[in-house]
Amino acid sequence: MQQVFSIPESMKKDFRYTFCPGCDHGIAIRLVAEVIDELGIRENIISSTSVGCSVFLYDFLNIDCVEAPHGRALASATGVKRARPDKFVFTYSGDGDFASIGIAESLHSALRGENISAICINNTTYGMTGGQLGPTTMMGQITTTSPTGRNKEYFGYPIKIAEHIALCDGTAYSARVALDSVPHINQAKQAIKKAFQTQLDGKGFGFVEILSSCPTNWHMTPEQAHERVRNEMIKVFPLGEFKGGDK
Amino acid sequence: METNFIFAGFGGQGILLAGTVLANAFMIEGKDVTWYPCYGAEMRGGTVNCEVVVSDSEVSSVHKQDTDYAIVLNQQSFDRFVKRVKKGGTIVANSTLVAETRPRTDINYVFAPMTKIANDLGTSKVTNVVSLGVLASACPIVKKEFLEKGVEKVLGEKKKDLLPLNIKALNSACCEAV
Amino acid sequence: MTDNNNEKVLIKGNYAIAQAAVNAGCQCYFGYPITPQTEIGEYLSGKMQELGRGYVCAESELGAINMVMGAVSTGVKAMTSSSSPAVALMQEGLSYAASDELPVVLVNVMRTGPGLGYIYPAQGDYNQAVYGGGNGDYKIIVLAPSTVQECIDLTYRAFYLAQKYRNPVILLADGILGQMMEPASFGKYPYPEVDVSSWALTGAKGREARKIYSVATDEKKQIQHIYDLFKKFEIITQNETTYEEFNTEDADIILTSFGSMTRNIKAAMNVLRKKGIKAGCFRPVTLSPFPHKRVSELAGEGKDFIVVEMNMGQMFKDIKYAVNGQSKVSLVNRPVGEWLSVEEIVEAVENIVAKGLTVVNPGGVEYAASV
Repeated sequence: MQQVFSIPESMKKDFRYTFCPGCDHGIAIRLVAEVIDELGIRENIISSTSVGCSVFLYDFLNIDCVEAPHGRALASATGVKRARPDKFVFTYSGDGDFASIGIAESLHSALRGENISAICINNTTYGMTGGQLGPTTMMGQITTTSPTGRNKEYFGYPIKIAEHIALCDGTAYSARVALDSVPHINQAKQAIKKAFQTQLDGKGFGFVEILSSCPTNWHMTPEQAHERVRNEMIKVFPLGEFKGGDK
Repeated sequence: METNFIFAGFGGQGILLAGTVLANAFMIEGKDVTWYPCYGAEMRGGTVNCEVVVSDSEVSSVHKQDTDYAIVLNQQSFDRFVKRVKKGGTIVANSTLVAETRPRTDINYVFAPMTKIANDLGTSKVTNVVSLGVLASACPIVKKEFLEKGVEKVLGEKKKDLLPLNIKALNSACCEAV
Repeated sequence: MTDNNNEKVLIKGNYAIAQAAVNAGCQCYFGYPITPQTEIGEYLSGKMQELGRGYVCAESELGAINMVMGAVSTGVKAMTSSSSPAVALMQEGLSYAASDELPVVLVNVMRTGPGLGYIYPAQGDYNQAVYGGGNGDYKIIVLAPSTVQECIDLTYRAFYLAQKYRNPVILLADGILGQMMEPASFGKYPYPEVDVSSWALTGAKGREARKIYSVATDEKKQIQHIYDLFKKFEIITQNETTYEEFNTEDADIILTSFGSMTRNIKAAMNVLRKKGIKAGCFRPVTLSPFPHKRVSELAGEGKDFIVVEMNMGQMFKDIKYAVNGQSKVSLVNRPVGEWLSVEEIVEAVENIVAKGLTVVNPGGVEYAASV
């Protein structure tokens, strides 16, 4: 009998699933693991981890990891890569880590063209602390710190991360993908693979922003949450490759 | 015994370098020596100064309020540091840019037209080295043979071609000192 | 610039630290400019590129310290350098590095505070370095050079101790040491290379994956982790506490200071001895671990302590703690500004001896610290 589905080699065999039901982190981490397997790079990886729900990456993947404080993953990864340019270095952060508290570290890593890969999960809220307004919270979105919805008077506007990263001269690849449907999930995997291949080719900074659902903090069922990604988020955060894609 | 020197002048007159040459000379002679600059905002325009302290044993402190010798290359530095020379100490001034006044009676004055001497040698850039020559004539513990070695050390291999001019600057000044 | 030999060169403290780092095998430097230590980053930029080692003009001190943490996690030696208000920004990183047991080397060339202060030399970061500004219970090794020669020697030691104990090390210098020149020689890096193969991140090839992290969702594990860190520091205290003493044997009073002020108290001691006051000097080289034991022994012999420092009495409290009421402890201090001169120290000591004062602020406002 042919085996058609298995846990990726790069995933720990004994992991315990710690994300909320319906959370897209599980899909995203699996995609990362599949790409690591396909590129055969697991034994050469050093990853700098973030703070937020994304921190649990190191509970799932069988790779070397060093912790960075909140927002500092890209600085830590810069240090790792400069110390060991032969290693494969990537980060996996949430939008708050990457684009709010860590925006200086993130943007400057891209500007310096650090030969590393960065993945950012955009779920329009701070998940781990219980759903507060973050840098990507959409206009009108209700969170625990924007109880009447995000308005420009108090909170200003959300950031379009992938477009900003694409503007940096040191960026070799920047894309935005989503996890709301099978075709989008397949596209997301291809984008992650391209970002990783960018590093393997020594081309510079590779970045993928992944639109993800957070059913718990959005107070939705998993299906409703994916519909929100599809019908609302993608309108504000359009999918596509903003730099380094095939045109 | 411990002796201290303050070099002061405009930024660009080679003040810090003059102190560095003197400190190197003392080091080569085998003495304990420290060099300490004013630093930061003061360096960006305006006056600049540095202190050299030399001791037969161990330098007691690198930064002092008063000084045995002040070597001043412009008028502002003369006005500022003439007050800080110890009783019985000496101020060595560049009379090309400093008026020959004697506001205190309890210190010694040495005036020499350092910028003019340097220009006569072909470049005002060696004014600082000229000032060291003048100092050597006024201060017995500053020895010309070690100053020459100090200049050589500071110039290094890269600027070795400038050594003859600088040696000349050291010596021509000694003759002019009053 | 000269390296790896015994010839004496007239060199600035900042350049001495930078070249010593190169000699120690520092593979990466990450930094952000701030007076009075900018020469370290300037010197290393050229040097590291020449040697093909790592160098980043970091976007901030937050970036710099985290780059060091990333780099050292792979087993290489790496450092950053900064000055007081910017070292404040690095406290988050130091707390993480201590918990993650990362061999970070940080040079602080102190300037004045609080707040932006100014670029002049100061000693106000004793507490910041020794007691830390990061969260939680952790300990940093703090080395305080007093001469340019020690800037070299203790930079070597900082890299060695960091890796030997997997603990962050601060080299606590000041603006005088950073900016002054003095004859010094580099010699060779005197320590053996530390084997980091049991923990360094190199990619999980042929072994279990390694995770370096401090997140502790298991309370019992976290308690054990903190005990382990403190047990480690007990060993560091036993093995690595160093100090200097001069004329303490017959001394009635012992002048105490750290860093570049040591030169001044030694000169004051010589003047006081000529005046018939039996003074000695004591100077901790390691501010953390602090030589509490030796101070306690000296106090037990009935010797009084006079702490001389350019702050509001920060090391003073450690001396008080060590003396523990066995003898009298006084403070001669100025918060910032001109270094206390030999004359000022001598006069203050005479006043303390004659009038029984406990705090003297030469040239300053009368301030009887609640000490």
